[in-house]
Amino acid sequence: MKGLRKYLAPFAPDQSGASAVLSDMGGIIVICDAGGCAGNICGFDEPRWFMKKSAIFSAGLRDMDAILGRDDRLVEKLALAAGKIDAEFAAIIGTPVPAVIGTDYQALKRMAQKKIDLPIMTVDTDGMELYDAGEEKTWLELFRTFAGEKLPVVKNRVGIIGATPLEIHSMNAPAEMEETLKEQGVEEVFCYGMGAGIKQVREASSVEKNLVIAPAGLKAARLLEEKFGTPYEVCYPGAGKILRDKLARQGFSMDDLTGKKILIMHQQVLANEIRKEIGDRAVCTAATWFMLKKELKSEGDIHLTEEDQFTELISREQYDVIIGDEILKNAVPGFEGIYLKLPHFAVSGKL
Amino acid sequence: MCNIDKKPDMNGTCSMDGKTDKDRKPYWISAEDLANRGKDQIPPELISNTHLIYSSPATLAFNSPGAQGFGVKRAGLAIPGSVMLLVAPGCCGRNTTLLAEMPEYHNRFFYLMMDETDIVTGRHLKNIPQAVEEICQSLPQMPSVVMICLTCADALLGTDMERVCRKAMKKVDIPVLPCYMYALTREGRKPPMVHVRQSIYSLLEPMEKRPNAVNLLGYFAHLIDDCEIYDLLHQMGIRKTREISRCRDYAEYKQMAEANFNLVLNPEARFAAQDMQKRLNIPSVELTRLYQLDKIQNQYHIFASALGTTIEDQKYYDAAKEAIDVFGRAYPGTVFSVGEGCNADPFELSLAFLRYGFRVNEIFGTPTADNFVYIKKIAALSPETKIYSNLEPTMLYYDISEGEADVTIGRDAAYYHPGCPNVEWSEDVQPFGYAGVKLLFEQLLAALQGAGKESAV
Repeated sequence: MKGLRKYLAPFAPDQSGASAVLSDMGGIIVICDAGGCAGNICGFDEPRWFMKKSAIFSAGLRDMDAILGRDDRLVEKLALAAGKIDAEFAAIIGTPVPAVIGTDYQALKRMAQKKIDLPIMTVDTDGMELYDAGEEKTWLELFRTFAGEKLPVVKNRVGIIGATPLEIHSMNAPAEMEETLKEQGVEEVFCYGMGAGIKQVREASSVEKNLVIAPAGLKAARLLEEKFGTPYEVCYPGAGKILRDKLARQGFSMDDLTGKKILIMHQQVLANEIRKEIGDRAVCTAATWFMLKKELKSEGDIHLTEEDQFTELISREQYDVIIGDEILKNAVPGFEGIYLKLPHFAVSGKL
Repeated sequence: MCNIDKKPDMNGTCSMDGKTDKDRKPYWISAEDLANRGKDQIPPELISNTHLIYSSPATLAFNSPGAQGFGVKRAGLAIPGSVMLLVAPGCCGRNTTLLAEMPEYHNRFFYLMMDETDIVTGRHLKNIPQAVEEICQSLPQMPSVVMICLTCADALLGTDMERVCRKAMKKVDIPVLPCYMYALTREGRKPPMVHVRQSIYSLLEPMEKRPNAVNLLGYFAHLIDDCEIYDLLHQMGIRKTREISRCRDYAEYKQMAEANFNLVLNPEARFAAQDMQKRLNIPSVELTRLYQLDKIQNQYHIFASALGTTIEDQKYYDAAKEAIDVFGRAYPGTVFSVGEGCNADPFELSLAFLRYGFRVNEIFGTPTADNFVYIKKIAALSPETKIYSNLEPTMLYYDISEGEADVTIGRDAAYYHPGCPNVEWSEDVQPFGYAGVKLLFEQLLAALQGAGKESAV
């Protein structure tokens, strides 16, 4: 049945994606909600929140704020907080409440700009789409807002777009990617959102090229290409090592994949890169619950939307190996092949 | 002394790395100043609807009650054998992944995810009966009840969920109940945690009264096993004390309707008790959870007297007093930092500590008019005690080096003092009465001893 989940809890929503992009950027982040969404975003979808302080707030909307559309009260509260907190910018992130009452985010942005002497961003997420949709909007808005100046290109400086805890396989991924890139001669890495903050976003035009490690970063990379001529490449540095590590951890090797029928489930870029590493030794299909960009898609790749569709796929195709987040196993308890665990925080909330 | 807002500094950089910007301080007010202001002039910094709500691990229980302890989702499943269908945008069910992993909730949470078209057309409502049927068919055993949990989106759409539940009920022939997780109404007349308490008792039907049966209302988990209330009720002639979480099955839950009276242990259950009085003719008496021994004693004796009986509670009093004395001898003059993320009113608990001869340096709480009875007494005993609101934006600048504490109570206070011994005091099983005080001081002793704090004896 459409929309019914019996085994899998909902995945990270768009508002969590938006927050994940901005969490490490030094701004005031306001979740435009009654409290529960902020609690879910921080307490469940943002592992960094437990490790260091971040200026994330709930708008604390109440029924009459929503019924009367009291955006002015929200702006007043934001102005009050901006007067007490040092921040580079302020961002308002949407949730189902403003979506239902039809909040005009452009108007909200203009109202806030008049009252607050900070760059203001609004992201019209609604809690009904998936995290990558929120990330995509936010990456675009972030680079549009802050990457304004054309700077000289610095040799061997590379940008990574798309890294958030929701997209990567481990919290060490940014460091591992940097290490891999440095082995390849790169001297400086701007891993936006995970290490590189708003200062580096302002200097985005100075990188030699951008690496897009998740489909949600693709539009922003294109924007930077159009604006500054910065080329981009879609890849996930170190994917081969990740695959070998995961295999070894469960007592397998690449040879165990030979001749097998394999389903790889993750965000599209990482799934593609793992398929590339496996190469011709097996027949691989990539499947994702998230963005399946046409330009990155191979024939036979699958976009999953419903739980029933997933269970039927597994039962019909008789895969020998599934590579994906462990929690997805709950929906296919009868699967008897090799289940190789590849964590996806947006799916299980675990890395 | 009062730390009033500083002049806005728009040129500073945000300290996001855990270091505290020396020019920025969190807002606090001394107990003396707050008491002097009075309940009608609580500073806006301590009133949650006047500012943005700071989101830190210390506020998780406020923003998302279900993330820790009992929120609406867990509470809605208090009826034995029940399952829940959450009908909401995906974001509302996100944290349920963790709950669903707890063995007692395995196969009990289901989701019907709404999309934008559902919001516009309301078509999701038509799918609910079919979803309920499909869920029931997929389970090895028919559930006792299906709770339909709704969130802010349906609150704003004005969904008539009672009608939808009736339709679903026809499909499966078991009760289907709405359960409202409307965060937007949390400061209204009937907030979600009040509403859900009414919902879970709404399936009780009038039955013959048993004069010596009583229900304990208020919590979704039971009281600690050695709580004296069970014996005191027995002394009063009560032979059957029921709590929803101790009901082994649906049939036993239904027996709660035979109670002679309800004992309300948490004010959030008042509405449920009123509803039970109206529908089932079960009156109620309210007892407050306290940590001051003399007040606990007074309360019990007034309660017994109201029922026209007497009780013998001295041994329980003495046991609790002994636990306090043992702790006091080992760690005299202990300095406490008391949070609101615990099974206590932080102001009443702080007052208890002060009256036992300890010190309270900080209270993290949200004072309301009801708390002023304690705040005034705290101000008299310890005027310099600092009162912070976890929810206030400047708590971003709380410096862990500024607060002096030997031990913290509550998850929030632990967050502000990461290196300090902590008693979380937020377990599902509820402390109450003398036994609660005794257990708290035993845990405090263990926490300080465990942290290697030198004992005075």
